[in-house]
Amino acid sequence: MSGPGIAAYLILSVLLFTTGALGVLIRRSPLIVLLALELMLNGANLALIAFARQLGDGDGQIFALAVMVVAASEAVVGLGLIVAVSRKRVDLDVDKLTSLRG
Amino acid sequence: MIAAAWIALFAPAAAVLAIALADMRITRFQAGVIASGATFVSFAASVTTFVLLLGDDPEERSHSSTLWTWLSAGDFRAGMEIVVDPLSVFMMLVVSGVGFLILAYAVGYMHGDEEERRYHAYKALFVFSMLLLVQSGNLLLLLAGWGMVGLSSYLLINFWHFRHSAVAAGKKAFVMNAVGDATFALALFLLIQSVGALDFQTVFARAPEVFDESGPAATLIALGLLGGAVAKSAQVPLHTWLPDAMEGPTPVSALIHAATMVTAGVYLIARTSPLFELAPAIHDLAGVLGAVTLLLAGLIALVQTDIKRVIAYSTMSQIGYMFVGVGLGAYGAGLFHLMTHAFFKALLFMAAGIVIHALADEQDIRRMGGLARELPFTYRAFIVGSLALAAIPPFAGFFSKDAVLASAANAGTLGWILWGAGAVGAFLTALYTFRLLFIVFWGEPHPSPVKREHGEAALSMLWPVGVLAVLATIGGFLQVPGAWNALDDWLHPVAESIEEASGGTAVFSAVAALLLSLAGIAIAWTVWGRPSDLPERARRRWPWAARTLERKFYFDEAYDLAFYEPSDRAASLAARYVEEPVFLRSLGGLGRGVREVSARVAAAQTGLVRSYALALATGLAVLAIVFLVVE
Repeated sequence: MSGPGIAAYLILSVLLFTTGALGVLIRRSPLIVLLALELMLNGANLALIAFARQLGDGDGQIFALAVMVVAASEAVVGLGLIVAVSRKRVDLDVDKLTSLRG
Repeated sequence: MIAAAWIALFAPAAAVLAIALADMRITRFQAGVIASGATFVSFAASVTTFVLLLGDDPEERSHSSTLWTWLSAGDFRAGMEIVVDPLSVFMMLVVSGVGFLILAYAVGYMHGDEEERRYHAYKALFVFSMLLLVQSGNLLLLLAGWGMVGLSSYLLINFWHFRHSAVAAGKKAFVMNAVGDATFALALFLLIQSVGALDFQTVFARAPEVFDESGPAATLIALGLLGGAVAKSAQVPLHTWLPDAMEGPTPVSALIHAATMVTAGVYLIARTSPLFELAPAIHDLAGVLGAVTLLLAGLIALVQTDIKRVIAYSTMSQIGYMFVGVGLGAYGAGLFHLMTHAFFKALLFMAAGIVIHALADEQDIRRMGGLARELPFTYRAFIVGSLALAAIPPFAGFFSKDAVLASAANAGTLGWILWGAGAVGAFLTALYTFRLLFIVFWGEPHPSPVKREHGEAALSMLWPVGVLAVLATIGGFLQVPGAWNALDDWLHPVAESIEEASGGTAVFSAVAALLLSLAGIAIAWTVWGRPSDLPERARRRWPWAARTLERKFYFDEAYDLAFYEPSDRAASLAARYVEEPVFLRSLGGLGRGVREVSARVAAAQTGLVRSYALALATGLAVLAIVFLVVE
């Protein structure tokens, strides 16, 4: 088995995850927020697969597959919500959707 | 014999179940037939038991039978256990026999009442409770029957639950009885502690070894038992519930007064006589309380205007005689009076019930009069009952009251004092009994338009009255002084009388009491038997005396003052100074505090998704750092 060591994969994974998290926190368009979320999930996936390969068993890969399924479902629901919101002719801005304020 | 005794016990219980389960599938009349039929089965079984027991040798007439162990704790065992001996069989015969006649009468009396089924079920329950009480073979089961008798009386006294006064009377009876139940239970605790058992055989066999005569333990136990007996038998000072219990339907009064309930106290003292004999002071106290009660009740009965209340006070007074009898150790005499009293008191109540029916539920004797013509049969029955109650020979009351008085005359100084009270009581008895008879049946009908509904009652109500009239006439010949002592001989193995009448004193006592009774009748005739203004004049001359009697010697007022008022006042003080400031206001403060805190917490809920995400991320970061540091 050859190629870059585990550290390189982890650094890339952290970079992906942090980029995604910053995107979620900073951007206001719900579409971009969804994209950023996907980035976070894939950052996590990368870490899982890297470790699976390092340890030589399949557990991490199976986790990664499950995460992909969740990510797909989440994208469906999220996009559906965004379509519903835009149908109401409301601005697509997460900061304006505050009707759940306590 | 044992099987017959068990049948006698459980037949009324089966009737209760049958009526309750059959519900609307049977008519009200059928419910009455089931209840009285079951009581008749009970009576027949009691007679069978009696006949079989007669076949035994007199000294071996005690059998017991246990169905199962009801309760066990350590070495202590109490079984579902009955005892068949002369005393319990005697009581079974009285309870089920008189009970059957009353239940049969009630079928006619209650006809047309909306809730007849419930009524008949309760009455059968009452008979079952009383049979359990008299048949039980240990004191714990006796206490269970004791409590159930209290419960049944409560249910029946406030049977007409829409009447406020009836509900109050039921509650009063229950509370007064609970006082007695409590002292009874305390006595049982002491017995368990010192003897370790509650079945009669063990207790009576071991009591003389365990207790010193007149020692504190024996005295306390006897006092507790006496407390129970006094409450259940409506003796001073726990008597105030009995007159109020007249709120129930009339056959209930008859049942409470004649067959079940009030005689339980007398039975208890006779049954536990070995314990009372170890505490002579308490034994005497029973007699003294009986004497006080018979005088007070006799005096109060003189001014009562409710036909049933007059009879109720006469019951208290007659039970006073029984207490004098058993208190002085003349168990045979006391129980003899119990039996004859059951006959003539049930008779008087049933006759009064017919009168009340005929006058459309009128109970005030001032609105009665001249009923002899309208109710000839009832009138005759009432005369028989009155003569028996006033102890005129050859009616039953004469022999039994005479037996009590003669035994008292033989019992030393205290005996003579009680005899004096009893003799005065005999005079009072004759006076108030014939006052009632003259006012209700003689004279002219009251001019007010009292609606007359029925006239003479139906045959179904008259025949039990007739049977009881016969019994009240001949029942006294069971025991004729100087000739034979059937009852004393029968009860001898269980409750051996320590006082027996004899010789000259007995004759003197009988003649004196009889003369006093006749004097009472004569005076009653002068005052109430013909038009007279004597009662009015007496009332004007001694207004305080009339008031004291009408207020029943202020017992109710005293209890109000001693128990009700203080607790009422304490409750309102507690309401004002504890509940109001501590609970009500602090609750308001607590509510406000919760509101303020939650308003602050709610402010964190901004509705901004990004702020939530930030909080999540921050939390996660903090957790991660903590884990790293801890590692």
